Amino acid sequence: MSEFEPKIAAFLCNWCSYGAADLAGVSRMAYPSNLRTIRIPCTGQMNPKFILKAFNRGVDGVWVSG
Amino acid sequence: MQNRTDKIKEIAKRLLDEEKVDLVLGHRKGTIPLKNTPGFAYNKDEVEELLWDGNCRSNLATFLPRLKDKRIAVVAQGCVSRNIVGLIIEKQIPRENLYIIGVPCIGMLDPNILREKVSGEILETKEDETKIILKGSGFEISVEREDVLRNNCKLCLHRNPTLFDELVVDEVREQNVSGRYDDITALENKTSEERTTYFDELLSSCIRCYACRDACPLCYCPVCFVDESNPQWCGKSTDPRDVLNYHILRAFHCAGRCTECGACEDACPMDIKVRMLTRKIEKDIQENYDGYEAGMSLDAEPPLATFKPNDPQSFIK
Amino acid sequence: MKNLLEYVGLEPGRIHFSWISSAEGEKFARVAKEVYESVNSLGPVKRLVKERVEVA
Repeated sequence: MSEFEPKIAAFLCNWCSYGAADLAGVSRMAYPSNLRTIRIPCTGQMNPKFILKAFNRGVDGVWVSG
Repeated sequence: MQNRTDKIKEIAKRLLDEEKVDLVLGHRKGTIPLKNTPGFAYNKDEVEELLWDGNCRSNLATFLPRLKDKRIAVVAQGCVSRNIVGLIIEKQIPRENLYIIGVPCIGMLDPNILREKVSGEILETKEDETKIILKGSGFEISVEREDVLRNNCKLCLHRNPTLFDELVVDEVREQNVSGRYDDITALENKTSEERTTYFDELLSSCIRCYACRDACPLCYCPVCFVDESNPQWCGKSTDPRDVLNYHILRAFHCAGRCTECGACEDACPMDIKVRMLTRKIEKDIQENYDGYEAGMSLDAEPPLATFKPNDPQSFIK
Repeated sequence: MKNLLEYVGLEPGRIHFSWISSAEGEKFARVAKEVYESVNSLGPVKRLVKERVEVA
C-alpha cells in the first residue's frame, strides 16, 4: 500500500444521516469514499461496544451520526 | 466497632423475631484474616456470626437483585446505601421488600497497606475508632486507622447512608476531602502516548477472571457483553486489546452509577487499580452534569438515562 | 465515551459524533469531509486494533 487511505466506520441513523447520505448521493455531491456505512435503525440503537468492536476490527476512525 | 456489631445483631434478631424479613444480609468472618465474607443470616444462630469491622469491603448491594423475591434486611454504609438507591431507581429491587440497617462508616482498611506495616503474617486485627492493632505470630503493633484506610475510603465524601430505615450509631462527621481527582487530572494532562503506556501497564496483569464485574453491584445484566458469543463483541483472551476493551466497556457501563465503593479493586486478585477508569468517568459526570453524584436520593434523575435540552453536546458536530 | 477513549490513549479526532437531518445532504458531505480529513491526518490506528493484517 503506497498511500494511506483511512477506513472509517460510519454509523448512520436510518432516518437522519442515512437519508442525508442518500440525498448527498442523488444531488451528486462529492464526499470521501473512505466511509464504510453501517445503517442503524435509530441512533438510540448505538452502543459503545459497536465502536470498540469497530476499532478492534481495524478501522481508523468512527463516525456516529444521528 | 464492637458497638456497631452489637447493634446490627440486636436489630437483626428483632427483625427475624418479628418476621419482618426472611433474611439479614451482613458480613461475617471469612476463612482468611483481613477478609470478611458476606453473611446470609436466616436464623438467630447465623445472626450471631454477623459482625462489622474494617474488613467488610465487599458490597452487599451486589446480592440484592438476585434475591428480589425475598424480604431482606441489609447492612449498608454510605456507598452501599447509594448503590441500593441506584438499584431502586433502576427498578432492580423493590423498596418495600428492603429494610436498610444503616451503618455510619469510618472507612475500611487496605489489606495491602496493613501487610506492609508488619514483617510476618497478620492473623488477627482488633480495632477501635482511631487505632488498629495487628496481631500475628510474635508481634503485636498498633497503627492509626487513617494511615491504613483504602484509597476510596480516604477519598469518601458520603460515609453516612443516604437511605436507611434505622441507624446503628449516630451519624459520623463527613470528611473534608481535597484533591479527590488529583491523580486523574495528572493523568489527563499527559500525552496520549503516555496514557497508552500507563493503561497498558495497569491492565497488563489482568487475568480476565471477572471478579471486578461479579463484585460490582451495578453489574447485574443477565448476560454480560463479554459472555455474548454471537456476535462476540469482546474477545475472551488476555490479549491486551481484549483486556482494554473489556475494562473500557465495563467502566462505561458504570458511568453515572458508580458510587466508589471499591468492591472491584478489593475483589481483584491482581491488585489492578480498576478505579482509575471508573473515577475518570465519575469526574466527567460531575463536571458535565452539575456535580451529579449517584445514589444520593430516590428522586434523582440519572443523567445518562434522561434527556434534558441543556445536556452537554459540544462533542456533536 | 469519547472522553474515556481519549483518556485511555486514543487520539482525539478518531471518533466523531454529529447530528444531521435527512434534509441536510450538503451538511453530510461537508461533515464527511471533515471526518475524513481528521482521521487521515492521524494516520493508521494503533490502539485497540486487533485484526488488521498490516498492523498485527
